[in-house]
Amino acid sequence: MVIEDEILPFFQWLPTGLLHWLLIAGSLAVAALLIGWLIAALRHGPGAAVRMVSKTLSEAWADVIHMSGRRIWALAWLAVKESIRRWVVVVFGVFIVILLFAGFFLDPASTYPARLYLSFVLTSTMYLILLLALFLSTLSLPADIKSKTLHTVVTKPVRASEIVLGRMIGFALVGTGLLACMGVLSYIFVLRGLSHTHEISPGELQRLQASWEQQLAGGKSAPPVEIETETAHGHRHTFRADAIRRDGDRRELIPRGRVRTDVARGHWHEFSYTVPDGALRSDDPLALQYTMGPPEDRFVARVPIYGKLRFKDSSGEPVEAGVNVGSEWAYRSFIQGGTLAAAIWTFEGITPQRFPEDRFPEGLPVELTIEVFRTYKGDTSGEDIPPIHGSLIVRNPASGEQVEVRIFPAREFATDTQIIPRKLTRASDGRTFGLFEDFVHDGKLEVWVRCIEPAQYFGMAQADMYLRARDGWFAWNFVKGYLGIWLQMLLMIAFGVMFSTFLSGPVAILATLGALIGGMASRFMISLATGELPGGGPVEAFYRLLTQENLVSDLPEGFRSELMRMFDTVLQGYLRGMAEILPAFERFDYSTWVAYGFNISGDLLATRILTMLGFVLPVFLAGYFFLKLREVAR
Amino acid sequence: MPPSEVVVETRNLTKVYRDFWGRRKVEALKALDLEIRRGEIFGLLGPNGSGKTTTMKLLLGLLFPTAGQALLFGRDATEVTKNERIGYLPEESYLYRFLNAEETLDFYGRLFNMPRTIRRQRVNELIELMGLGKARRRQLKEYSKGMVRRIGLAQALINDPELILLDEPTSGLDPIGTRQIKDLIIKLRDSGKTIILCSHLLADVQDVCDRIGILYQGELKELGRVDTLLTVREVTEIRASGLSEAAKEEIKQVIGRHQGQLVSMGNPTTTLEELFLGIIRHSEAHPGRRVRGVLPGQPNGDGAGKT
Repeated sequence: MVIEDEILPFFQWLPTGLLHWLLIAGSLAVAALLIGWLIAALRHGPGAAVRMVSKTLSEAWADVIHMSGRRIWALAWLAVKESIRRWVVVVFGVFIVILLFAGFFLDPASTYPARLYLSFVLTSTMYLILLLALFLSTLSLPADIKSKTLHTVVTKPVRASEIVLGRMIGFALVGTGLLACMGVLSYIFVLRGLSHTHEISPGELQRLQASWEQQLAGGKSAPPVEIETETAHGHRHTFRADAIRRDGDRRELIPRGRVRTDVARGHWHEFSYTVPDGALRSDDPLALQYTMGPPEDRFVARVPIYGKLRFKDSSGEPVEAGVNVGSEWAYRSFIQGGTLAAAIWTFEGITPQRFPEDRFPEGLPVELTIEVFRTYKGDTSGEDIPPIHGSLIVRNPASGEQVEVRIFPAREFATDTQIIPRKLTRASDGRTFGLFEDFVHDGKLEVWVRCIEPAQYFGMAQADMYLRARDGWFAWNFVKGYLGIWLQMLLMIAFGVMFSTFLSGPVAILATLGALIGGMASRFMISLATGELPGGGPVEAFYRLLTQENLVSDLPEGFRSELMRMFDTVLQGYLRGMAEILPAFERFDYSTWVAYGFNISGDLLATRILTMLGFVLPVFLAGYFFLKLREVAR
Repeated sequence: MPPSEVVVETRNLTKVYRDFWGRRKVEALKALDLEIRRGEIFGLLGPNGSGKTTTMKLLLGLLFPTAGQALLFGRDATEVTKNERIGYLPEESYLYRFLNAEETLDFYGRLFNMPRTIRRQRVNELIELMGLGKARRRQLKEYSKGMVRRIGLAQALINDPELILLDEPTSGLDPIGTRQIKDLIIKLRDSGKTIILCSHLLADVQDVCDRIGILYQGELKELGRVDTLLTVREVTEIRASGLSEAAKEEIKQVIGRHQGQLVSMGNPTTTLEELFLGIIRHSEAHPGRRVRGVLPGQPNGDGAGKT
């Protein structure tokens, strides 16, 4: 899973975030005041304009501080009644239909069925809810203005602030209720859709019993046979069940036992057996009674401990980033194989208390995702292209002592789990080290990854390696995924209501959609505005498109290029501004986190909730001013 | 507030509608100066496009004046707090049709920040007053036009307002309903309320209004007490009673000598409709002039007669 922005602890993010917000909100407020004064000055003269602006501001203050909870609740209740009558039932019906027919296009036999199911329910819920929020928030107020029902409302002692806030709260309540229902149904749908068990064929049972009989009879000591289950949901599991207790030469059958199967399609089952009379007859498969449990660990919420990533180049010198291998995605940086180049993660807070031996008896679990860039395919005689190998090394950041943990094949397009053992032996001198005693210094541990095959490359980003200290509660993580949708819905409602205070219904829909699309493209807009993207600004890029100029070569100097740069400077400023005032909706989308099994941290959630409020507050104020300053009866 | 205190006042109130580019499209109201005092029923009359709806909207703060000022209870009409003391019945009862009568009145009661118990009591009173007891749980979309009108009037009275603005209050009502509403309006006036009435039904206005203002093309053409405006001053109407048979005979003979029949003596009145149409005709013939005595026998009138 890709995490392009570092997730800072909430209180570390707060001062910077707050300052940034104050700057943007303050600039917008000053701009709005100037525009208001300018319009009033054109109609009534500069002096009168100052009086009008100050009067509007003082009234606004009164309208905000004198808001009545009873009136807001009445307006919210009205919005709820209206919404239930208009849209909610339709959207909920569509969702039910989608779930009913989802079995046609969701394959539980896919490689990652949980990921598929979770992505599906979260994404479909998100789109339906956003669609509902869009229509509810944008059409209601214009419809009231058109039907003049708003005339009866505004001739009561209702403030414009209460109308805007009441609508926002009402639609939010409707959306929240619907989202909760959809969430519960989705959870049940995913659990039921992926629920299965496996049978074991009589032949396999006989083979298992025969193996136990042989061992009981004192046959040669062999590992338990590997048993394969029947196919269900497009996959099988294997397991080895050892039911013989050995005490010297004495062997005894354990009449009841449980054993885990291997992990397939991201889950395992528990095989439980009972031998009723304590005896086995290999010719009777019914002598062994068994149950195969439900799938376990299908849904996880890993809590990763991320480290800081740095790179070394092919000569072993520190560099800011790895090699650029061409048109590959810049998210990952590459290291050259067969050289001293390495990707180095430094983890902090690594203590034996955090990784107690009873919970982590084998060692530290490390999960790693590697992108491989091949300059040649290698041996292609077999069915599969052979993997590229890498080396995993741990190093003490203070003493420089290091040991190679293992050589591993890189699993492309998948997350690989490695264990760093508690006791490590260095192959070169046979010396044995304790992980915490010899490699952890002041809670810090370095983990190095190298590509050991010459002329091949490993691509890695900071979030590609993490230590998995514990797992969160999946159901709560699922709820947090829905909280992300909820935050997006609130933003959509706020923008929709704000636009509907001064635009007609269809135009408000378009404007809100524009805000949504603009917000989703805000990252791109910032890249374009800051000149990070090759090819210049929008005008220059358009010129290159028309003239088929490549993106990296400089344009010939002259009046034309100067003119284009001038326009681009203005446009880039505008883009930068737009990117700052539009919410980046994709940052509130946690469907990937839930589907890929990552815990959504409290820091991330708190940051996003505050960000949402940071957008909703000025949008509410903008909606208030638009409604207050418009003539409702025109 | 003393009874003579001005409740509504407009000073040079002007409204110009402009197009998208800010160009003048139409001057809907021209320098209206008006005072309405506490405890009177004031009728606002005028043909379509005369500016009476614009006046109402300006008084309610639904529109902003281009020039001049509208004051209600001494406060600017755009101030939201003035709405606490007013009730408004719009022309078409713009209500939420998916609510029932109880919900509708409860909703508007909440907008006045009324506590629950008072709200309930007031809702019950008004539903009974309007005769909607049997339909209190039915959605308004199932109501007849007359029933919607009644619930519209009920919402205008939910806060027991001091000033009530009624736009076509009897529209859609049957004769009995019309009579009831007119009686209610008079009853409200008698209890000290001030009422501004806007109606095309001139007979209704004549029945209930104390004073009227007649607008034409955005200008106030006539303003005064209804009985004064409708009086034909130079016509004498004699009404007599208690006369002896001989006296009656003598009067009859006098009238008979003049080929007439005596019914009464004094100043007879014409109808409001006559006055209204006379003003419109005069205004079309003499644009820009204040109308004076358009009826025969009135000061500055074109004709005079005696009976």
